[in-house]
Amino acid sequence: MIKELLDASTVLNNKHVIQWKKNGKKVVGYTCSYVPDEVFHAAGILPFRIRGFGAADTTIGDTYFGPFVCSLPKCMLQLAGEGKFNFLDGVIITPGCDSMRRLDECWRKAGSDVDGVIPSFFFHYGVPHKYSDYTIKWLTEETHRLIAAVEEHFKVKITDENLHRSIKLYNQSRMLLDRFEAMRTLDAPPFNGEDALAVILAGTTMPREEYNSLLEKFLSEAENSPVIKNRVRLMLVGSANDDAGLVRVMEGEKAVVVADNLCFGSRFYTDQVEESGDPVSALSKRYLGHNDCPRMYGDYKRRLDILVQKVEKAKIDGVILQNIRFCDLHGSENGLFERDLEAMGIPCMRLEREYGPLVETGRMKMRVDAFIERIHQKKAIA
Amino acid sequence: MRKETREYNFDWMLWNSFTAAAQLKKGTEKEYRSMLKYIPYFRGVVESILDAGEPGQKFLDICSKYMENVITAKEKGKKTAITTFCFSPAIFYAMDIIPVCLEVISVMMTFTYKRGTAEFLDYCNEVGYTETSCSSQRGTIGAYLAGIGADIDMIVTDTPGVCDTNANAFAFASAYLDKPFFQLDMPPDLTGERSNEYHREDYRALIKFLEEQTGKKLDPEKLRANLRELAKQDEIIAELEDLARMVPNPLPVSYNLMVYASRFLFAGMPECTGVLESMLEVARENAAKNISGLSGGVEKLRAFFCYIDHYAQNLQLWKMLDINGICYQGNILSRSWAHNAPHVTEYNKEEVAYTIDTTDIDSLIDSLAMINSRMPMIKSIRGPYDAPNMWLEDTLGLAKLYNADLIVYNGTPGCRNTWGMVKLFARDTEKAGFPTYIMYADAFDARVQSWEATEERFMEFLKVRRLV
Amino acid sequence: MFVSGVDVGSLTSKAVIMKDDRIVKSVIIKSKARPWESADEVMDMALARAGLDRKDIKNCVGTGYGRDKISFIDEAVSEIACHGRGARWLVPSVRTVIDIGGQDCKAIRLDAKGDMMKFITNDKCASGTGRFLEVMAKVMNLDLDELGEMSARSKQPVTFASACTVWAQADVIQQLNDKVPIEDIAAGVNNAMASRMAILANSIGLENDVCMTGGVAKNNGVVNALEKHLGIRIKRIRREDPQIAGAIGAALFAMEKASGGVI
Repeated sequence: MIKELLDASTVLNNKHVIQWKKNGKKVVGYTCSYVPDEVFHAAGILPFRIRGFGAADTTIGDTYFGPFVCSLPKCMLQLAGEGKFNFLDGVIITPGCDSMRRLDECWRKAGSDVDGVIPSFFFHYGVPHKYSDYTIKWLTEETHRLIAAVEEHFKVKITDENLHRSIKLYNQSRMLLDRFEAMRTLDAPPFNGEDALAVILAGTTMPREEYNSLLEKFLSEAENSPVIKNRVRLMLVGSANDDAGLVRVMEGEKAVVVADNLCFGSRFYTDQVEESGDPVSALSKRYLGHNDCPRMYGDYKRRLDILVQKVEKAKIDGVILQNIRFCDLHGSENGLFERDLEAMGIPCMRLEREYGPLVETGRMKMRVDAFIERIHQKKAIA
Repeated sequence: MRKETREYNFDWMLWNSFTAAAQLKKGTEKEYRSMLKYIPYFRGVVESILDAGEPGQKFLDICSKYMENVITAKEKGKKTAITTFCFSPAIFYAMDIIPVCLEVISVMMTFTYKRGTAEFLDYCNEVGYTETSCSSQRGTIGAYLAGIGADIDMIVTDTPGVCDTNANAFAFASAYLDKPFFQLDMPPDLTGERSNEYHREDYRALIKFLEEQTGKKLDPEKLRANLRELAKQDEIIAELEDLARMVPNPLPVSYNLMVYASRFLFAGMPECTGVLESMLEVARENAAKNISGLSGGVEKLRAFFCYIDHYAQNLQLWKMLDINGICYQGNILSRSWAHNAPHVTEYNKEEVAYTIDTTDIDSLIDSLAMINSRMPMIKSIRGPYDAPNMWLEDTLGLAKLYNADLIVYNGTPGCRNTWGMVKLFARDTEKAGFPTYIMYADAFDARVQSWEATEERFMEFLKVRRLV
Repeated sequence: MFVSGVDVGSLTSKAVIMKDDRIVKSVIIKSKARPWESADEVMDMALARAGLDRKDIKNCVGTGYGRDKISFIDEAVSEIACHGRGARWLVPSVRTVIDIGGQDCKAIRLDAKGDMMKFITNDKCASGTGRFLEVMAKVMNLDLDELGEMSARSKQPVTFASACTVWAQADVIQQLNDKVPIEDIAAGVNNAMASRMAILANSIGLENDVCMTGGVAKNNGVVNALEKHLGIRIKRIRREDPQIAGAIGAALFAMEKASGGVI
């Protein structure tokens, strides 16, 4: 089961997508976890999370982006430029962060330079940076604008009834992922962090109905799987990571990642969408309010509380605070997390990295090893 | 940070430096000349500004006054708010709050100190704030994080949706110092009913926040007086901008800096009006005589800066321009989007501009919301650069209006936002016929690229493009 | 009972043989392209000089970049832990260790018992590492050792705009062309390096005593400049060559292991 999920998590144009397209159906990609999948599902469109996974270099990305910019959107543009996203019928860009929102202009410019690089539906979805009555109102209107644009472009109708149905389906998925989360944080979990990430990622690349049934199978198999014991329990925090290989390097033989707060991780599935009432406003509330990215300024304490709760619940021995270079939002927040968590006696390690091919594994491994040694020492003293 | 740097409050030191500088020319010329040799790292600034005559003297006076306000806020029973350059301070003055504008203070330090803000920039990294963050806030915020500045009561910014690294500096400071935080959030669209309403609602939430922090209600009369003063300032700026269209441009190169700095420091206050009036007087005289504001008297080239300036020690950017006969035709910091600004009327952009309506409290607050949403950067960097009323359209419009021969981009490596699109932007401005130079320097940190290297490359560009 | 530690770094490889808490022999060689070749050569050299054979070594711990690829070691321990342990042996009162190696630099804080409490390493390029000094020394046509001595003679150190290897190299060439005295340039290079290192050291919080390990600890210019930046005294290591601190730490871990302890 894990094999199928792993394949779906590492191959962008995977067999599910190929089958979907064969049936004449559309796929819309998006770049940020603030975009509500349910809207596309309700339109009979496959929502697909755009990634930069597999980019070998960023020559195309660097043609459009300047220096001093995060390598994640550069890798995304690279893949787009290489035609790896040709299966997309549409793209949604958000102001998730500055590097990511400039993907809008860079992708469009690349599209005007080279035919076929950009799909015909290209939409900028404006997501506010704080949670209050008028920001929810804004996002609700913005979602209506998105719905109208999708309806017009793809000649579909997104009814409230369909939205309600989609919300229910995605909530089921979130419920399954809650079970998955509970298993992941067991004292002796039946799967490691590398597999966990693959399971989560697979959900962003395939139809939700298929994903739910695969996930269900995975969970029942996991219940009888051999468990992982006697390893240092880590939590992975910070910038986007969609590379299970990175988790593998960190885990090595001595550690296991049992929790995270990543946008390709637990942020993606925590909290349900309200099933009654106006579906668009319910979606806006969930996506704006229960998504713990540092782009939501001034909300640090709440995010710290979430980490502290996770540390307790998952019995975390140490927290790895990583950020992609030029990601000031996560990088700086990691500095605060380090100060505050260390003060509570929770060992932390900060790490800056590049997004893209795993080339610096030696350096990273050396530091993670030293961190694990530090945790062992701490335990030995206790 | 060196131990001695911690000995005195940095803002108190800065106040001292500027207060002393402002006194220099108040004695005899001989006294003035003999003092200069004691301030080798500051004399360039002092000379350039004081040589500008009365406007320069007034400008130094208000810099000193601003710092005095910061360091004496507490003894005068006033609250202090850390804020940003693109946030109109008019509301703070109306509510008896002393604004502490990070970028302006960073510029003051970069201009005057041998090491600029280097120690504070580095201090930020030591406490966990990323070194890739923008140096404009990082320079000053480091000093406040280190606890060697005035007491701060709250932190207020308006850059979410416009510039992450800026907004993040304030969010970090708030979490690090455990101070209340408020953000004005900017939607990607500037105009339209939805955006207008969002701006208004958000601004009302800001006032509520400020009232809670100060324990005082907003006084409409005070606000009205400030906005009337602001309207007066807009009138003067509009005339200055109009004069800058003349050939030769009668404005000395440093005027643009003094216009925006005065507004960032004291918008809506008589201090700002004083400097502007004095500049206008000189500019009118020059215009009447049809003489150039350049010290050489001959205008060879007109440059439009599409982003910010380079604040290397001793005003070296302005010196370079002046010596080479390059007329400074403004940047995005100096342009106002008041309804009467020349570029607004020239291009019929009244619907994009703001008007000041002092009728009642609602119209006052709405005016403020409009002003704030049209501040430099806030207005034109929020959406895609090529969208209507955004960076490209503004730059091309202004470059044409002011007859520029070239466009120059300078920022900081921390500016993810513009570095994410500047290559595309420059392609388009070049296509429109403007040689466009992208500086790879850091406006606030000469350690990234020394001023000498920056200057050499800039002059090289002019040569290669046959502009000189 | 003999134990040994081998530390394969990016620029140099070090081996130490110990017996009863004493160093029997230590060797430093220039690293080869493949870590295991460096490890074999440096260890064989140390054994030969000590008149020992591989089978005489009860336990051997490896550290450094290529440690996982060394065939003859019993255990691999991170170089951060090894440097901490080695520094502790060299200066028993040490609480903060600043290590500048060829390709990275680290700051390590130890508790009263010598256990590692916190550490930080540079993430980025060669700025602030031994490689930086090596490149600069080469541009100035100096031996690496001379670079440190030069600082002492400088009257007016040059201020370099950047501690970035690429930028600073251009600046050094510029200064040389401008006929600036070489000792002033050398002092400037050492200062640039120290300022970069000071940020790292300050960010983990300094505690006395502070000592420096790694090859750069032998460069007095950098050590003096760093003292100025940090505003504290750095204890000089006299017991042994500070460059072999990592290998000493590895040997100490081997000793612990050989005596039945768990690393």
